[in-house]
Amino acid sequence: MSGSALIVVAYALLAVFAVVFVIRTISIARLPVHLRWELAPVPHEKGKGHYGGSYFEEYEWWTKPREKSYVSEMAYMFKEIVFLKGVWEHNRRLWWWSFPFHFGLYLLIVAAPVLALRMALGAGGSASGIDAQLGTTVSALAGAGFGLGAVGALGLLANRLFDVRLKPFTTPMSLFNLVLLLAVFASGGLAMGAAGEFPAAASGAVTALLTANMSPILPGALVAHLLCTLLFLAYLPFSQMMHFVAKYFTYHQVRWDDKPLAVGGRVEKEVLELLGQKVTWSGAHLKADGKKNWVDIATEGKGQ
Amino acid sequence: MSKTIRIEDIGKNGDEVLCPVGPEDLVPLPPPYDKLDEQPVWKEIKAETKERLVCNLDGVIGLSIPKPTDAAEEQEYIDKFIAGLKKLLESNNNWTFLQPLTLSLEYCVKCQTCNDACPVYTASGRKDIYRPTYRSEVWRRLVNKYVKPGGKLFGRLTHGDIDLNWTTLTRLYELCYRCTMCRRCAQACPIGVDNGLITHELRKLFSQELGWAPKELHDKGTVLQLEVGSSTGMNDVVVKDNLEFIDEDMAEMTGIQVETPWDKEGADVLLIHNAGEILAWPENPGAFAIILNAAGIEWTLSSEALGYDGVNYGLFYDDFQLARIALKHAAAAKELKVKKIVMGECGHQHKAMMTISDRILTGEMNMPRESCMTLLEEIVFSGKIEFDPSKNDFPVTLHDPCNIVRNLGIVEPQRRILRYLCPQFREMEPHGVDNYCCGGGSGFAVMSPNNFADWRISVGGRVKFKQILDAFADQPGPEVKKYICAPCSNCKGQFRDILQYYNALDRSGITYGGLVELIVNAMVDVKEPFIEWEMH
Repeated sequence: MSGSALIVVAYALLAVFAVVFVIRTISIARLPVHLRWELAPVPHEKGKGHYGGSYFEEYEWWTKPREKSYVSEMAYMFKEIVFLKGVWEHNRRLWWWSFPFHFGLYLLIVAAPVLALRMALGAGGSASGIDAQLGTTVSALAGAGFGLGAVGALGLLANRLFDVRLKPFTTPMSLFNLVLLLAVFASGGLAMGAAGEFPAAASGAVTALLTANMSPILPGALVAHLLCTLLFLAYLPFSQMMHFVAKYFTYHQVRWDDKPLAVGGRVEKEVLELLGQKVTWSGAHLKADGKKNWVDIATEGKGQ
Repeated sequence: MSKTIRIEDIGKNGDEVLCPVGPEDLVPLPPPYDKLDEQPVWKEIKAETKERLVCNLDGVIGLSIPKPTDAAEEQEYIDKFIAGLKKLLESNNNWTFLQPLTLSLEYCVKCQTCNDACPVYTASGRKDIYRPTYRSEVWRRLVNKYVKPGGKLFGRLTHGDIDLNWTTLTRLYELCYRCTMCRRCAQACPIGVDNGLITHELRKLFSQELGWAPKELHDKGTVLQLEVGSSTGMNDVVVKDNLEFIDEDMAEMTGIQVETPWDKEGADVLLIHNAGEILAWPENPGAFAIILNAAGIEWTLSSEALGYDGVNYGLFYDDFQLARIALKHAAAAKELKVKKIVMGECGHQHKAMMTISDRILTGEMNMPRESCMTLLEEIVFSGKIEFDPSKNDFPVTLHDPCNIVRNLGIVEPQRRILRYLCPQFREMEPHGVDNYCCGGGSGFAVMSPNNFADWRISVGGRVKFKQILDAFADQPGPEVKKYICAPCSNCKGQFRDILQYYNALDRSGITYGGLVELIVNAMVDVKEPFIEWEMH
């Protein structure tokens, strides 16, 4: 692929990623307010979250100030996101593959700002001082990330194909997701091997993309890795792999959304609008004719 | 090893039972309940019943679906089901749960991390169809094939194969009533996907679009309640008469004058019981009256229709029935101008009234609502009543109703009372928000058609029964009387059935009851034991 074609493809894939990612995230966020559906433990319950208690444990709770601990909430999320605590506790067999897979990704994500810092400091040529330290850090993070990620992806693939618990739920798409990520990790590893001095090569690739100047010749393995990564990014927001975004909503807007209704508040106003929507369910006991709204149906009839 | 059941198998071989289950499949119970040949035999379904009703999931008939008369009738329901799938994902028809449902639809990674959290799945010997993910994945594939654009072309490739036919429909409907919606699986999910919610939404689809719901929950449940005032069938006159009898009985039992106040305008507390207590466990409302009167609480019951029955089975299967009943409950409180509503010992009433209805009780209807657990804790530790904990010196364990504990986070008040009043209190393992469902949740406790009670007790309640036996393992014999404190009507119904099924009072000395009975039993002013060691 020529340099200019690579630039066009790269920008197109990045644009797809950015646009679809934003649209999909906004579409989740803009879904209407729902009925409360919290689930203990709610870690922000100060002094109670650790055993799953809530403000409902207080006598006449509505007369008491609500005390929240965002530190507890963040600590909970940290353990869940970084160490996959839930999988460790409930699915240990899978954790041995899922953890390296995810942790490999995290290492690569951390490697990116370190590389950016190295580039921002104007390093790249010298092999001494901070430049060398940052370069070594990038190589270590990327090497570990590609290695752990590849091992994890291979293990997860094997589980999807052979584990009797997972196999009935394995779809062509779930296999494709893993193969694509395996390609990202494996091509990254190969690019590292081929590049000699990986931080410099990676900096060169980033500079080429940022300046839209592909005149410096990138190693073939690095181009392959770049394409795999960009393809993955463009595909990501269409896939279940967006679950890292969904997780924010499932936790913060469903499980932990325990805020009582404030009369006259924003949620009440939104609910009153939603209650005015026309209903088209066909169940005979609802007598919904497409003209009646939620309030009409909930306040009439005997429910038969 | 049994054959793996694939997702797409749900629509195949409709005349056969997809995944038979019976006592021989189940995980063993501890002694003396471990011998298969001593286990109760499951009720046999008559050939005539099988001829008439659909029985193609697990050999259990919980829902009594009549077989269709012809292909046109089948198609009519299939078309309605597809329409319902779409409506579940529309804001105007399902804003109530659209966001959590969409998240659970789109982002499950099918890792099966939730499976072993499910007591039904593990108790059954890990039958594939009881995985929390099985029915969810069926629904997910149906949505992807029949609702999403291009689904019929690409659905198989992207999300896997499935066919929607009469067999799929009826098996899925029955399968919705093999999950108690305890949400233990949701706790285990690292993503936050909620298979309990998916069960809830599918039940709604069947009710709100096809008009299919268990008669115990709909005809004899919400409809009866809205018509008469209570799902027990009691109107205001009958309920007042019954409470009067209970007051007299309580006075006779305890030597304390008991009077239940009715319709006291401006009372501090409107207590709403699950009216099932009044008929099945009259000592429970009686004990409440004794405690509240002794503590000098300004309280009342309401004789307004629905105001005396906190049941709201709409929670389990239909948002509109839920809303209709919740509004009546709030209206009864508003009419009396009480300062707060207090939930009796009923788990689903707690959840329906305290959280699920919170956002639809707008304006003046959104009155303060509180659990009886916190009110009782306040009373017990107020010093207004004198207690003698030695009167409760027998082994006591606590069952955590899912709707009060896992769903509302009310964990400690009831424990603080038990630690104070019951010297031999011990926990089940696991407990608190990690508890196991009794197996009677989501309406099951009032459902016993055909052989469903066998399934509900043997499979649904198996892990809980094992937990109870383990909690009392240090004194297993019948000579030591033991008490399961179950502060929830539906859970008590399930415990009554489990203990009777295994004859556990005679064999192990185990009985059950609520929290208020233990409180009254420990009152110094109550001279005779309040707890009766008999099956009731």
